[in-house]
Amino acid sequence: MNIELLAPAGSKEKMFYAFLYGADAIYFAGREYGLRANAKNFSRDEMKETVEYAHSLNKKCYVTVNIVFHDEDLDGIKEYLLFLDSIKVDAILASDITVISLYKELKLHMELHISTQASTLNREAALFYKSMGAKRIVLAREASREDIIDIKKNTGLDLECFVHGAMCTSFSGRCILSNYCTNRDSNRGGCAQICRWEFDYYKDNKKITDKKFSMTSKDLNMIEYIKDMSSIGVNSFKIEGRMRSIYYVSTVILTYRRLIDKIKNNTLTDNDKEYALKILNRVANRESMSQFYNKLPGVNEQYYLGRKEESNQDFLGLILDSNNGLVKIEERNYFKVGDKVDFLGPSFETFSYVIDTIYDIDMNKLDVANHPQEIVYLKLDRDIPKHSMMRVHIE
Amino acid sequence: MNNKILININNLDEIDIYKKASITNFLFPLEEFSIGFKAFKLNEIPDNSYILVNRIFDKKTLDNFIKIVPELKRFKGILFEDIGVFNLLKNSNIDIELIWNQAHFVINYNSINFYLNNGCNSAVLSSDITGNEIKEILSKVNKSIILPVFGNNMIMYSRRKLLTNYNTYNNIDNINDVILDETHTNNKFFVRESDYGTVIFSNSEFNYFNFIKDIDDNKIKYYLICNINKSPEDIISIINGKNIGNDGFLNKKTVYKMSEYTDRK
Repeated sequence: MNIELLAPAGSKEKMFYAFLYGADAIYFAGREYGLRANAKNFSRDEMKETVEYAHSLNKKCYVTVNIVFHDEDLDGIKEYLLFLDSIKVDAILASDITVISLYKELKLHMELHISTQASTLNREAALFYKSMGAKRIVLAREASREDIIDIKKNTGLDLECFVHGAMCTSFSGRCILSNYCTNRDSNRGGCAQICRWEFDYYKDNKKITDKKFSMTSKDLNMIEYIKDMSSIGVNSFKIEGRMRSIYYVSTVILTYRRLIDKIKNNTLTDNDKEYALKILNRVANRESMSQFYNKLPGVNEQYYLGRKEESNQDFLGLILDSNNGLVKIEERNYFKVGDKVDFLGPSFETFSYVIDTIYDIDMNKLDVANHPQEIVYLKLDRDIPKHSMMRVHIE
Repeated sequence: MNNKILININNLDEIDIYKKASITNFLFPLEEFSIGFKAFKLNEIPDNSYILVNRIFDKKTLDNFIKIVPELKRFKGILFEDIGVFNLLKNSNIDIELIWNQAHFVINYNSINFYLNNGCNSAVLSSDITGNEIKEILSKVNKSIILPVFGNNMIMYSRRKLLTNYNTYNNIDNINDVILDETHTNNKFFVRESDYGTVIFSNSEFNYFNFIKDIDDNKIKYYLICNINKSPEDIISIINGKNIGNDGFLNKKTVYKMSEYTDRK
């Protein structure tokens, strides 16, 4: 069983952490034609370097070319696709038939993956894309277990499914609330997320309630079902979040990496899943659940009341160096002597530690570390690899 | 002009009223396979009509649709959203016009020409592009296409039952066809739910009848009216020039990078 773990990479730094923490492949966009127009994204030089770096690790890079094209976007797309092919990108993700047909016309070597933006939910649509040269379909987030089985059985295509992260309230691509309310084009990467706003609720010119109407979806979380998904033929587990932090990407990737490895070794237990859920529920600022896989989402899969999305402050520090147990840390959030913290990294089991002493850069003792990006030292009984992370302890 | 109007039907009694005004091309949303509009059972729909199939199909919906494909031959054409419908029908021997009608995707001439060159008879231009974009597309497509000219813009399509969920959570009677009022940007939306999901429309109609005086009529197969709640009499008066509605996206070019957004403001 070969299961791919696919990570978002909104920047080169996020790409680095995604691979380090266990992703088999990443997806990202160039400065044009991607649906996260306001992520840092990648210059052409960065894309070339990234592909070379990924291939040196025997990992893969997929580039999103999945906007819905207006006439003004057509100039340059042919040259862009040829460029991506020339730097040996492993696949492009596309939803507009202009890109899909160009893929065939230009006889490109990289693979064609159909973006979730196309909202593919049935075998006939998948067969059409297969006839256009697609190797893989990123299924709509609305795909049920039954839909996935049917498409796999009748097409033989590789199937990629989102397993974690934010959900659109609408079918992907079928929403222009952002265009309508703010002039920002949702299908060209400018979505203002109006579906997370609040509305007054009227019927026949009468206000029904003073409570605000909300249609905000909770996030997706497929921990409970990833073993089943792999058994029905899903080839790639995709994590959403090109705009998320390196802490979020690293934590989510590491969590799924360890579960996938346990599925492969047939050692996955309920305790493993329970612990993973605790980790994932902490790292995001929204609740997460399985959504469409085994039922139609109902009343419990949305938010209804006003809620603030507060930034997560679990990420305490990034490990910069370690020598004879003296661990050099770049602080990210407040911590103090006596706090119980966790260290996590790709090459060791997560462990907890009660902070005994904090030193500043001149080795003076501190009671607290409360200046983000300040360099401090902790004394441990072991070394911690560079690029590991320190977070709030999770039981 | 009126012989080029294509209009959806909300009530079978409307047909005679429209025919008296020389409007004879009708679109019937097909029950189980369409969303957002009043839908009709297969046996209610007159021969030689156009049918609207604008749902995104899951396995079950596709399986049920395949069962009725042989009955589609008595219709003139089908406006489809799901590419699976296109793949199914282009490989069948059913003689019916295939019309690409994928919400928000029919916005560049190259993609339109792909479908026109590969089995589609026409396409319905999305109603979220500018007037200049419409003119450019019309100058470059190689068959005549369908242009929406009046209606409530379909803004969002969700598989979720957004009204049922909200009403249930708040112990509100299960009302449908509601208005959402977004007070920051001062926009109102009409929301309709069915067993197949929820559609959000703009609450105010776009009206392109002035705009179309300046376009190449030869490139227009039909002028489409998508009517969710107006009487036939109102619709006929609008066709005849009554000034109701706004200019939609005709003069509203969208941006997508924050720097452009800031510059524009």
